[in-house]
Amino acid sequence: MAFLLRRLAGVVPTLFGVVVAAFILTRLLPGDPAVFFANSVTADAVTIAAVRQKLGLDLPLWQQFLVYAGQLLRGDLGQSVGTGQPVATDLLRLLPASAELTLVAFALAILVAVPLGVAAALRPGSVIDHACRLLSTAGVSLPTFVSGLLLIYIFYYQLGTAPEPIGRIDPFAIPPPGITGFLLIDTLLAGDTAGFAAAARQIVLPAVTMALFALAPLARMTRASMLGVLGSEFIRTARANGLRRRKIIVSYALRNALLPIVTTLGMVFSNMLGANVLVERVFAWPGIGSYALDSLISLDYAPVQGFMLLMATIFVLVNLVIDLLYAVIDPRTGLFHA
Amino acid sequence: MRRRDFGAVAATLGMSGLLPARWAQAQTRAESLRVLSEAGPNSFDPIGIGVNRNAIQLHWNAYDRLLRFGTQTRPDGTLYFDYYTIEGELAERFEVSDDKTAITLHLRRDATFHDGSPVTAEDVKWSLDRVLGIASGRAQFSTGSMTSPDQFVVVDAHTVRVTTPRPDRFTLPNLAGTYPVIFNAKVAKAHATAADPWATEWLKTNVAGGGAFKLDNYVPGQSLTLSRFDNWKSGALPGFRRVLWQMVPNAQSRRSSLERGDADIVQDLPPQDAVSIAQAGKVKVVGVPMAGAFQFIGMNSAKPPFDNVKVRQAVAYALPYQQMFEAALFKRGQPLFGGKPGEADGTAFPQPLGYSTDLEKAKALLVEAGFANGFDTTFSFELSLATVAEPVSLLVQEALGKIGIRVTIDKVPGGQLGTRLEKKEVPFFFEGSAAYFADPDYFFRIFYHGPTRWNFGSYNNPEFQALVDKTRYETDKAVYDADVSRMIALVKQDIPIILLWQPALDTGMQASVEGYKYLFHRQLELRTLKRG
Repeated sequence: MAFLLRRLAGVVPTLFGVVVAAFILTRLLPGDPAVFFANSVTADAVTIAAVRQKLGLDLPLWQQFLVYAGQLLRGDLGQSVGTGQPVATDLLRLLPASAELTLVAFALAILVAVPLGVAAALRPGSVIDHACRLLSTAGVSLPTFVSGLLLIYIFYYQLGTAPEPIGRIDPFAIPPPGITGFLLIDTLLAGDTAGFAAAARQIVLPAVTMALFALAPLARMTRASMLGVLGSEFIRTARANGLRRRKIIVSYALRNALLPIVTTLGMVFSNMLGANVLVERVFAWPGIGSYALDSLISLDYAPVQGFMLLMATIFVLVNLVIDLLYAVIDPRTGLFHA
Repeated sequence: MRRRDFGAVAATLGMSGLLPARWAQAQTRAESLRVLSEAGPNSFDPIGIGVNRNAIQLHWNAYDRLLRFGTQTRPDGTLYFDYYTIEGELAERFEVSDDKTAITLHLRRDATFHDGSPVTAEDVKWSLDRVLGIASGRAQFSTGSMTSPDQFVVVDAHTVRVTTPRPDRFTLPNLAGTYPVIFNAKVAKAHATAADPWATEWLKTNVAGGGAFKLDNYVPGQSLTLSRFDNWKSGALPGFRRVLWQMVPNAQSRRSSLERGDADIVQDLPPQDAVSIAQAGKVKVVGVPMAGAFQFIGMNSAKPPFDNVKVRQAVAYALPYQQMFEAALFKRGQPLFGGKPGEADGTAFPQPLGYSTDLEKAKALLVEAGFANGFDTTFSFELSLATVAEPVSLLVQEALGKIGIRVTIDKVPGGQLGTRLEKKEVPFFFEGSAAYFADPDYFFRIFYHGPTRWNFGSYNNPEFQALVDKTRYETDKAVYDADVSRMIALVKQDIPIILLWQPALDTGMQASVEGYKYLFHRQLELRTLKRG
């Protein structure tokens, strides 16, 4: 518990650093938002000055920062010009969509990558090892917009088995009342099995596209880590003692190989959540990645800052969870007993 | 952290909730329209900071204006707005006084807002005053000599008079433009505050109008649901009862949805898609040259080497226009190259500037300018225009290399080119823009005149500037035409910007969708659409 508190206390300076960095980085962008937003052809210098004042960009930088910090303390992330909504509202609306897609893709990736990596490590040089290498190489080298468009072309355009690859739900369906924001959960909570099936159908293609991308690092890390453990002495001892093969692989080898895999999982998850702009674009998935990119392109400071803050928080939380998982997997880390 | 703590975090993060999109299942396809576009509106208010082009599509259809532009039919049957005919919308009729300084507008007596309250002269007055109350609105309205709320007079409950200090050709078009929508003033005022007297915050996310369509539901960045306002009086009832408008950023996804028959209308088709969809022939593609819109190559004529007119002419003669038109635009548009050199060909503008590819002439001009060995320069374009600008820039680089001008290509991330143009620090670049009003002097005033970034070539010829000022209030047609002809001749000779073409607006739609109308703002007119 003391460890947990210590870790949580460490989060505060990290987040403060992120707030400062996000503020400075957006100000370093080489574009003038006032000029950009005064976008009508009749806009003259007076209009631009009025826009600058309205956006609060006429103040000196330190004053702008104080205003921003004051807003943050009140839980106000500012206003997005791009969507016309408060940033906090936007992020709360978009994060569940990204999280749902990421979690499904993540689960898919783990389900395929870990067994595949283990199998490849058990028989290095075999057909399954080559298959693992092929899949992970293809996964990293195929850009997600290519694999996404390919899947759309085959399963929607040609075969017609997949639903229209637009958004999270059939536009003609009535979405369930929003409780968690996760459609797959909300439909079940509302007892709407047809809605659940529709949402599940909708998520398959984007999730597979994303999983293909995440497969590669996971499968490779599993394979490498398993190979290392399988060659170690305690495994030889276990074999010499005639333990069952299944027991050796699952209880002894895999458990010991898990640490680097879990570390990779954490990195891959955080990356998938924020950096899958291309999948979101191709499937018109209303996620935070494309929201952040759109805001960045249109010099919209508040959402970019809000996004950076949110992602930093999530990274910190994921790292915390990973640390806790270490303790569960490997008691030697002694986190709970120190 | 315990498991239930995770649950609590997950629940807090997921509080958002989607608004139910109540798309009545019973609606038949015949009465519903499904539109896909690249982006959606960022505001429901026509005037405000950074309001995007897609916002027009919403407020154009959800609000009425006092006046609107007439309709003409193109040879292919497409409806097209007629700038020179102005008719009543919310005003059933209007009269212009003999001295042309007062416009009396008579409101439809039976017109109501969406909430059922009648449209009164007070609503109109408040809405027009509001345009002047916001900086960008004031800048636009001043182009029609409307600068003070005193100019908008309530005559009686259904009559409003707009006066101008002197006759101005742009007052009527301004009233038919995108800004002066008529708000339900009582509702809007209820949401005004001392700091925000024009309810800009509230109207950004709420509609208080009486247009042909009501906004039923809005999920930012994803979709809008509109339904027909059955008590709409300002024209024939629209053909569709329901419109579902969704945002699909990826052009390929929009296209496949259209070709599969799931979408009715797909906007913002890239030129090469328009060509191949039209060839495949499953659905129709309506391509209309955009009035007033143009893409061009700009040269900063305030700084060397482009301050030398011979250098600018040399560049204009060296460009491979036809190749650019084919490789970059797939011929989806109206060329502005070739044509009559050196003098006006009619008084419409933009018109072809009279330059065709002639490398010998280009070389000779460059030698005359004192650049026998050429020079180095940088050619910039904004990444959001890359599909067209990228091939253009490569062809420009290659062609100018032949006459000794060494070009470095600079791809500028979105949003930044504007800032650099405002500072006048870009020597040579590709850009596009559009003027809403068709009068040539309006075009010249914005794009060839003044200190703003819209004077893309930093053009500053005293004779031309004097003519821009002189034509502003000119009412004698013969004098006006002579002045415009002279201005056209000057921009052809001085060539501060090289106009390339007017791109086409390509919209894909199912064969059953009829009544498509092109409007000056390039967004969909939902009033005229129907299913055949």
